[in-house]
Amino acid sequence: MQEPGREGEGAAARGVAVEARGLTRRFGAHLALAGLDLRIEPGEAFGLLGANGAGKTTFLRLVTGFLLPSAGEVLVGGRSPARDARAVAPLLGFVAETTRLYPELRVRALLRFVAGARGLAGVLAAERVESCLERFGLAAVAERPLGHLSKGFQQRVNLAQAFLHDPPLLLVDEPTSGLDPVQQAEVRGQLRALRGERSLVLCTHDLAEARALTERVAVLHRGRLVALGATEAVLGGGDPLALFRGEGRAA
Amino acid sequence: MIPFRALLRKELAVLFGAPLAYLALALVALVTALIFFDHLRLYNQTLFLYASTTMGGFQSDTIPDYINLRDTVFFPVMENLGITLIGLVPLVTMRVFAEERARGTDELLLTTALGPGRIVAAKFAATFLFVVLMMAASFVYPAMAIVEGGLGAQHLAAVFVGLTLHAVALASIGLACSAWTSSQLVAAVAAWAVGFVLWDFDWMKSFRFVGPEGGRFLDLLSLHLRYGSFSEGVVSVGHLAYFVALAAFAAALARFSFLWRRVAG
Repeated sequence: MQEPGREGEGAAARGVAVEARGLTRRFGAHLALAGLDLRIEPGEAFGLLGANGAGKTTFLRLVTGFLLPSAGEVLVGGRSPARDARAVAPLLGFVAETTRLYPELRVRALLRFVAGARGLAGVLAAERVESCLERFGLAAVAERPLGHLSKGFQQRVNLAQAFLHDPPLLLVDEPTSGLDPVQQAEVRGQLRALRGERSLVLCTHDLAEARALTERVAVLHRGRLVALGATEAVLGGGDPLALFRGEGRAA
Repeated sequence: MIPFRALLRKELAVLFGAPLAYLALALVALVTALIFFDHLRLYNQTLFLYASTTMGGFQSDTIPDYINLRDTVFFPVMENLGITLIGLVPLVTMRVFAEERARGTDELLLTTALGPGRIVAAKFAATFLFVVLMMAASFVYPAMAIVEGGLGAQHLAAVFVGLTLHAVALASIGLACSAWTSSQLVAAVAAWAVGFVLWDFDWMKSFRFVGPEGGRFLDLLSLHLRYGSFSEGVVSVGHLAYFVALAAFAAALARFSFLWRRVAG
């Protein structure tokens, strides 16, 4: 059995590249992503910005292999999640927008389950779980059911489960959505500590979050790329919100 | 095997962590007891009627042959239990896949080393284990009727196998329905509908919706024929194959739902 955690320790230091080539996704008549060409470099902290419905979550779901592209392709570390989801799975950790994981499970039990589901077992799994409980400040609530935790703690658990196997790529979708300012600061602190060790793709419509956490951003509007460049260059001048309305500019 | 075992353990933890599981276990045991004691009461009343209206009724062979534990208690109990399970088993299966979809945790599962095949296998296995436990808990009453009716150990084993396979078949149907929706209610209603339709097609023949050829074809699909055969103590390879095929078809449908979602969104 492959041990993604061990393999990941080396890979995580470098991160992996994500490359979209003509990536298109339709839902019936609705075009969610229209021929997206994009390359995220290994180890880069990359932000994907846009209003609700811009196609950010669709992009993440295509990267995880949860959805198949209608046209084009996306590659993670040179591998296609559409064709070989099992090979891509060890490379990525995914923090979905939902924080409702399994409210009836205790935190430690949930992390042990995710470790097992990722192929980690025995001492290695136990070590990774305890290490994540410490790293994400969850040790004190390890025996509490998830449903009894605040949203902020639930989001920490969500981050911890994505980080368990030490993946070289972390995909994070709206991590601070619905959190109070204190919880937002905590989650951003956790993400800040994680970036640099691996590739980070952060989907958000929060400009301050993008400025704080990413080096480069792309802005999507109705599935099309309207801006791409260094975070400060894209968000620094003029009216950044104009980008959300689809008024793009080269950066 | 590590990811499969992890999901199996999680499924069992979630199943036994929810009050619905104990409610379902208690409900099946209670309903079985009610059905059994109701038929036993009828049986006793019938015996009492014969004993009180016929001098020396018990000694003089005046009780008709069909008034016995086997025909008056055991078979009606099994018949009613088979139908009752169609109503109860979907209460256990409705949440298994639908809840994951509603919570969005299916995305988490699919980004692990668990592919759709392992997810379906682990969820089916956990549910089957629960259903076997459910049947074991309620088997005491049919078993009492078999033992007291003098039907023998082989018959007892055949009935337990039949009852369990029937429940497993209903669980498979329920799981397949649950895999195609995020609504537990829709999953339960769909499982009830499919279960009741598959149970018996005699009504179609009675109303002449199908001809004799169609009737024979529908009989091939009928749950009731197989279940009834086990109730009579007959274990046939063909009937075993029917239940295995039904479970395999349901699992394939559940697995296909994952592919469908990747395509349709």
